[in-house]
Amino acid sequence: MRVQPRGTDGSLLTSLPWTMGALAVSLAPHVPYLPFWISGAFIGCAVWRYVIERRRRMLPSRWVRGGLALVCFLGVFGTYSSISGVGPGSALLAIMAALKLLETRRRRDQFVLLFISIFLVMSSLLREQYLWSLPYVIGSTLIILTAWLRMSAGASETAKQSFTTSGRLLLYAAPLAIAMWVLFPRLSSPFWAVPIDTSRATSGLSDTMSPGDISSLSMSDEVAFRVQFDGEVPESRDLYWRGLIMTRFNGRTWTGSEPRVGTPVEDQISFRGEPVSYELTLEPTRQQWIFALDMPEEWSIKRVFMGPQQQLVHVTPIEQRVAYRVTSYTDYVVQSRLPSIYRKWYTSVPADGNRRSAELARQMRENAGSDTAYIDAVLAKFHKEEYFYTLQPPPLGSSPVDRFLFDTKRGFCEHYASAFAFMMRSAGIPSRIVLGYQGGEINPIGGHLIVRQSDAHAWTEVWLERYGWYRVDPTAAVAPERIEYGTRGAALDGVGELWGFTAPPQFLRDLTMTWDALNAKWNEWVLGYGPETQSKFLEWLGMVDPNWRKMLLTLVGSVVALILMISAFMMLRYRPPAKDRASILYNKFIKKTGLTRRIGEAEQEFALRVTTGSHIPNDKVASVTVAYLDARYGVEETNAVRRLETAVAAISSR
Amino acid sequence: MSSILWQYPSRLVGSVRDRATLRARRWARKRQGTDAATTELRPRRVYILPTGVGLVFGLMAFAMLLGSMNYNNNLSFILTFILIGIGFVSMHQCQRNLVGLELAFAGTDPVFAGQAIRFRVAITNQSKSARYGIRIYHDKTESDVHDLQPGESKIFILPVSTDRRGWVQLERFGIRTLFPFELFRSWAWLHMDLRGLVYPDPAENPPAAPPSRVAQGHRQHDARGEEDFAGLRKYHAGDSPRHVAWKAYARSGQLLSKQFAGADTSSQWFDFDEIEAAGTETRLSVLTRWIVNADQTREDYGLRIPGFEFPPAHGDEQRRQCLEALALFDEKAS
Repeated sequence: MRVQPRGTDGSLLTSLPWTMGALAVSLAPHVPYLPFWISGAFIGCAVWRYVIERRRRMLPSRWVRGGLALVCFLGVFGTYSSISGVGPGSALLAIMAALKLLETRRRRDQFVLLFISIFLVMSSLLREQYLWSLPYVIGSTLIILTAWLRMSAGASETAKQSFTTSGRLLLYAAPLAIAMWVLFPRLSSPFWAVPIDTSRATSGLSDTMSPGDISSLSMSDEVAFRVQFDGEVPESRDLYWRGLIMTRFNGRTWTGSEPRVGTPVEDQISFRGEPVSYELTLEPTRQQWIFALDMPEEWSIKRVFMGPQQQLVHVTPIEQRVAYRVTSYTDYVVQSRLPSIYRKWYTSVPADGNRRSAELARQMRENAGSDTAYIDAVLAKFHKEEYFYTLQPPPLGSSPVDRFLFDTKRGFCEHYASAFAFMMRSAGIPSRIVLGYQGGEINPIGGHLIVRQSDAHAWTEVWLERYGWYRVDPTAAVAPERIEYGTRGAALDGVGELWGFTAPPQFLRDLTMTWDALNAKWNEWVLGYGPETQSKFLEWLGMVDPNWRKMLLTLVGSVVALILMISAFMMLRYRPPAKDRASILYNKFIKKTGLTRRIGEAEQEFALRVTTGSHIPNDKVASVTVAYLDARYGVEETNAVRRLETAVAAISSR
Repeated sequence: MSSILWQYPSRLVGSVRDRATLRARRWARKRQGTDAATTELRPRRVYILPTGVGLVFGLMAFAMLLGSMNYNNNLSFILTFILIGIGFVSMHQCQRNLVGLELAFAGTDPVFAGQAIRFRVAITNQSKSARYGIRIYHDKTESDVHDLQPGESKIFILPVSTDRRGWVQLERFGIRTLFPFELFRSWAWLHMDLRGLVYPDPAENPPAAPPSRVAQGHRQHDARGEEDFAGLRKYHAGDSPRHVAWKAYARSGQLLSKQFAGADTSSQWFDFDEIEAAGTETRLSVLTRWIVNADQTREDYGLRIPGFEFPPAHGDEQRRQCLEALALFDEKAS
């Protein structure tokens, strides 16, 4: 094998910064997900390479590059312990780009780099899709295309010209892209399932709950899901979005049983009252839980089953945004009979720890006389005594229920739900904890309900004879505004004072609401443009009974039509201007002479040939020639053209 | 070993490609006919094919389409379709980059056999849009790449190696561009009357030139003497058109040549038949060398070859006439 020369001559100085810029832009959305050292390696290699070009140094030798490649590959493998999926895939692409930079010597080597940057943009889209992803796609494509032009640009082509050219070409390509995007038939199911990203932490609910371990609740504004109701939005106190159920308590931590799939439990529910129908768009959670208004009757999402505790479970984790229709009833009775084995399960608490609370529960139950009276008494205790709702509660230590009930008396929903369920169980009443979301914010612009991560909530269900599982929300007893206005309303008292105002200014709120409504529409029409939406849209456009064959035919037809239009437009743009009058007249004269003008023959030379070799009198040839030369290069153009006209007209063709 | 194994298929592919190119060229020649001295590229004769990069780009777009379908990811659909759209657009842009250009043969300067003759082709961009990355080529040689701004005209130089005296004719040359993204190569073949003259190769070690003798001033029209305007005389065929008195011509309709006075010089006769060397080519070679040397020292010289006689003179015109006669000696007029 021949060893490639490694010297540089600075010829890449015009194109290399653009290529590096394109790579940086396409790498940017990956940076938060990549291990720090990969971004560092990329920046290091880019700077190194630029300095080499600048100072006309030598590129690193094959051994150095090979060693670096090996180290980086092992590093990626060590970090991810796999090389498939978006995380390790984009890490490898970033590494490849960095190392390829080090062996890029000719302009054309940069092709590989630009291909890599296209793949990086693509994989960032697989990872996350927001409203600003579209401008990002367009912007990064523009930069990549500009870098592409810079790579082969001549010396006279400025960067601005390249940028304008790629912008113009992108503009031409836009209608084609839109037509293809609208008409390309969407598949309802993927060919093969590939895990998209396993490196990212879950953003939804945690499936264990340990009140007191976390001493503050995040007020993440991230949207959990959006809901578009068919009719009126139910009252805030009915907006309990059921998620997962926790049934086991070890004194500190509540855990759920593993979701069992396929148990027929729907027939244990009897619905009452009016149904509520809505469409819910769930952001990816990387969990299996499917949220629905308590209590769902029907849901349109496939491969979702109701678990034994009436929770909805998807067969695989939700990796992508999903929209589904649900019909729920806010009034229902579930499981009016509870077998004794379950009764025991739902009343078990660890014997050691939290003794004072257990003792208090037994006393209160005795005093109350009935289960319902006891529940009221416990809620009244939370309501009347010095219990506070706060998002920054003190830590609780080893007997969290005791410490919370008797000492700190401050907490958020998890603390109250946990303490309440413990009190119920200690008094022999079956109880469990439901995690989900409560409330939500109505977007007045989009008319939909936004449920954010900060709306996450924990409440309890107690089982009562004749009522079945009955929802009791102890937080409502402490902080009714939490239920009426959501976490924001409840927490803003503290936060607002700190910042000097009590609520965000109205215009800021309008702005966020508009942004959210845009996002909702974006999700519905662009990101959620699947088989159903496509059929609906194409029907609206006038296609009768859309199917993939019709779509493909229309696609081909419209693409061809658009290309012809673009081509016609380019033709107009690139057409040469009409010949000037003088040239037309002179050509007429040439025709009349019956001779052909030779390549590069000056008018004078031609005139000479005409006088010696044709029937035309010398003076006429001379007047035509002089008039033409005047029209071409002289001062009085218009006059000369008129003279030329008469001179040419005066010559009779043979 | 590996290189041998690799060579065979690549050679096979190469020969298939060469044959295809040959056929395509013949077809184009028949289809287009001979081009005029100034030819504007019509869309019908601008051909286009994807490059290797273009094929890779197509494959990538296809892979991206599969990926987008699999993940049902509408944003990556958008990216994919933008790239496919860019592919289509750049195909048309690439062709439009050539269409409408005006090519004109701008002559050559004669060279001595063995030197590369440089064909000059003037390419004019008459449209209002700039044209980028244009070059002309012939077989394996190609010109530099130039951009043409709106209205701009540039001379592209195509060097072609020569090995013998006489006319060298370029049956065909091409113009091509890879702009904008090197995804496509569009080109056109031109069959213009492109010819240049090749003088004989000057002999390395010629016999001594014949002795010179002093001559009195005589009719002269070299570039150096032009300051000394001597008068007008009736035009004769062969007079330089630059010397025609155009103003007088326009007034009177009488063709007159301007006359210039020259100075006294010494002169010598170079005679084809007097050279003691074997073979026509060798003799021509020797004569060429003598003329070149005499021209450098600005001596008068005359040339006598069978069929031609040039009286002693010196200067560019004399040199040109003599060398041209040597170049075309005994060659069929073409």
